[in-house]
Amino acid sequence: MAQLRRDYENFVKLDTEILVAGPENAEAFRKYWEKENLPFIGLPDPGHRVLKLYGQEVKLFKLGRLPAQMIIDKSGKVRFVHYGHSMMDIPENRELLDLLETQLTK
Amino acid sequence: MPRVELNVQAPDFTLNDFNGNSVSLSDYKNKKNVMVVFNRGFF
Repeated sequence: MAQLRRDYENFVKLDTEILVAGPENAEAFRKYWEKENLPFIGLPDPGHRVLKLYGQEVKLFKLGRLPAQMIIDKSGKVRFVHYGHSMMDIPENRELLDLLETQLTK
Repeated sequence: MPRVELNVQAPDFTLNDFNGNSVSLSDYKNKKNVMVVFNRGFF
């Protein structure tokens, strides 16, 4: 999250909004967002509705305790998916920004 | 490796943000790219 926070402005420049979903409730989100001063849109999803949807409909994700990440372009298509194998297994911002810059700016 | 079919249409979803505002993936269609991060109980 700190990594994304640092590069948030670069994502914004590339017309990209960041949504963070998680199982905590709204109060836990609010506290964390205030403490860390996060600019992202925080989406409490205690029932893992979105993960389940993506697991079932497009088989991108399964439930579990590992992080996952995807980028959806302006036409609504999935263009990048990362499914973590550990808590530390997250893609580099540079990789994400390169994709946005070279392929998804139009 | 990601177990992916890329370039599929992303299923739409709607959730309330922690301030109670409704947020749908389709709100961003033709406007912005969206990166969705799924945290699994980090905080």
